[in-house]
Amino acid sequence: MSGTVLRTVPSTIASTSAGGEASGQPQVILAVVLGLLFALGTFLVLRKDVVRVVWGVTIISQAANVYLVTMGGLRGSVPILSHGGAHGAVTDPLVQALVLTAIVIGFGTTAFALVLTYRVYEEHGTIDLSEVNER
Amino acid sequence: MSEHVVVAPLVVALVTAILTLGVRRYPRTQRTISLLGIGAYAVAVITLASRVVPLGVLTGGGGTTETLTYQLSNWPAPFGISLVADALSVFMLVLAVLVVVPALVFSVLYIEEFGQRISYHALFHFMLAGVSGSFLTGDIFNLFVWFEVMLMPSYVLVVFYGRAKHTRAALQYTVLNLLGSAVMLVAIGGIYATMGTLNMADLARRLAHAGEYGINPAPVLGLGAILFAVFALKAGIVPFQFWVPAAYRAAPAPIAAVMAGVTKKVGIYAIIRLLFTVFGAATLESELGFGMAGTSFLGLFGPVLFLMAIGSIFLGGLGAVSRNDLDNVLAYSSIGQVGFIVLALALAATGEGTVRTVGLIAALIYSLNHAIAKSLLFLVSGTVYEAVGSIRFDALGGLSTKRPVIAGSFFLGGIALVGIPPLTGFFGKLLVFDTAGKAIVAGEPFAEVALAVALAGAILTIAYFSRAWNRAFWGTPSEPVTRSYQPTTMVVLVGAFALLVVVLGIGFDPVYRAADAAAHAATEWETYVEAVGPEVIE
Repeated sequence: MSGTVLRTVPSTIASTSAGGEASGQPQVILAVVLGLLFALGTFLVLRKDVVRVVWGVTIISQAANVYLVTMGGLRGSVPILSHGGAHGAVTDPLVQALVLTAIVIGFGTTAFALVLTYRVYEEHGTIDLSEVNER
Repeated sequence: MSEHVVVAPLVVALVTAILTLGVRRYPRTQRTISLLGIGAYAVAVITLASRVVPLGVLTGGGGTTETLTYQLSNWPAPFGISLVADALSVFMLVLAVLVVVPALVFSVLYIEEFGQRISYHALFHFMLAGVSGSFLTGDIFNLFVWFEVMLMPSYVLVVFYGRAKHTRAALQYTVLNLLGSAVMLVAIGGIYATMGTLNMADLARRLAHAGEYGINPAPVLGLGAILFAVFALKAGIVPFQFWVPAAYRAAPAPIAAVMAGVTKKVGIYAIIRLLFTVFGAATLESELGFGMAGTSFLGLFGPVLFLMAIGSIFLGGLGAVSRNDLDNVLAYSSIGQVGFIVLALALAATGEGTVRTVGLIAALIYSLNHAIAKSLLFLVSGTVYEAVGSIRFDALGGLSTKRPVIAGSFFLGGIALVGIPPLTGFFGKLLVFDTAGKAIVAGEPFAEVALAVALAGAILTIAYFSRAWNRAFWGTPSEPVTRSYQPTTMVVLVGAFALLVVVLGIGFDPVYRAADAAAHAATEWETYVEAVGPEVIE
């Protein structure tokens, strides 16, 4: 990994994680964030409330997207080959293309899951999973 | 060297789906387009199949199978998305055609007018596009995309009737598969980070020559295991089977037929492609140090497959014996039957040479048999529901005297699964036993256990089918059965489909040769790599 820092992400991330001294290493910070996101997602999926479960799933799929970006190796600044020409290393653009695809898919599935939640509520009169499963 | 015929099934399915959405004000036109579309799809697949596996190969008259590729937008292999049609993909596509054509015709008769007009046809064809894409793609991220294309319509189709039990089943099915998709993305990201490519052919080559590329294949084993778990979720193999019964009961009968017959097989196909083609030559290097140095990936996956197969066969079999309605029995039965497929795959994974090939052939033949027989049975169950108004055993009884064609079709589907000659199921079972026998001769571990499990599973299959037959079809006609009517067109359709099961069994030779070609295509990863021809990047 080269010493270049990804400029936009760490400033926001550093405030949410403990990463003061690790701010030179975006991947370490991202790893911590990923852990937190997956933990939060798992926690929500295990709730009894259907809406929380759906949010949990959404957070987990977004965490997977962040993971994909991280896996591309944040080596350079922007994923553009020549824009004015004065660039050093570039970040792998492929993972970003993958994430865009995954985000679009995630958008569709989240919308569907929320509508489905509403239908579950209409049919069962509750969004408590233990009550939904009793009938 | 792009072959446009490779992309034809996909384009046909997508175009049909969009057209049926466009004309939904005109139900008649919509149904016509949908039926024409499925016909065109069948023609596209058969054209493709005849290019990849020439007729000479099927009749034993000579000729060689080909591997056709299509590079999207003409980007060369590892950079763009490759679509690959080899004998294995084509085998699965033909399997899909055999199921979806009768299922769609049945749907036109079975699904109420309003439901058809709203979304049914479009969803059906989108699902078909997803299935075809999954069979054809040569890129793991693209496989993820096609999985999603296949799954999204299936969520809607599971909740199609929209009442309490359907919403509940769909919620469970959707949440599980969304989690599965997220996990699949994680595995794909990891594989990209460690291997530097997502093209399956490129992956296979890099794994085979890991040293030259300076890659440590050990992380890929773990990431591959994650991918494998996602595929097992799609295929409904124990311990990922729990969504199966609720989803199949909630979905309309023709959709349950397609889900059990085709979308489950997408999971099986993905497992075969990943383990046998991509990981075909992958071995662990020495530095891992659990005493596993030099072990092939396949050898490590073998015991896992084996345990999952045993679990599926027993859980499915025992579950099916104790259920009280047709769909439930069929759903549990499909868990058990997939167990047989996985058992053959487990033997193929641990075995070498002929055991591997025969195991794969057994798995493929069994998949084909299960696809046709199980979807026939789901369609029969739909017909029974249409005629009698119930599929619960306590409301049925004596159908064989009142509705002989329905009963006869159920009987044929049942004995095809049990494996009575001359039906395809017999050859499927025979080949599973044959593989186990060959594995015992080759001195493989667990081979005796595999044989015993296969026998026990066969006995369970006989048990639950004779029970279903006794409860629903034999005896004196019950009150609802005597009041039942004859949905003539549906009965004719189901009867014709049942005859297909018999025809495939009697004309088994070409089926066997096709499976043989597919098994070789799956294991000969060099041919696959050569056909795709990914450029070497440093």
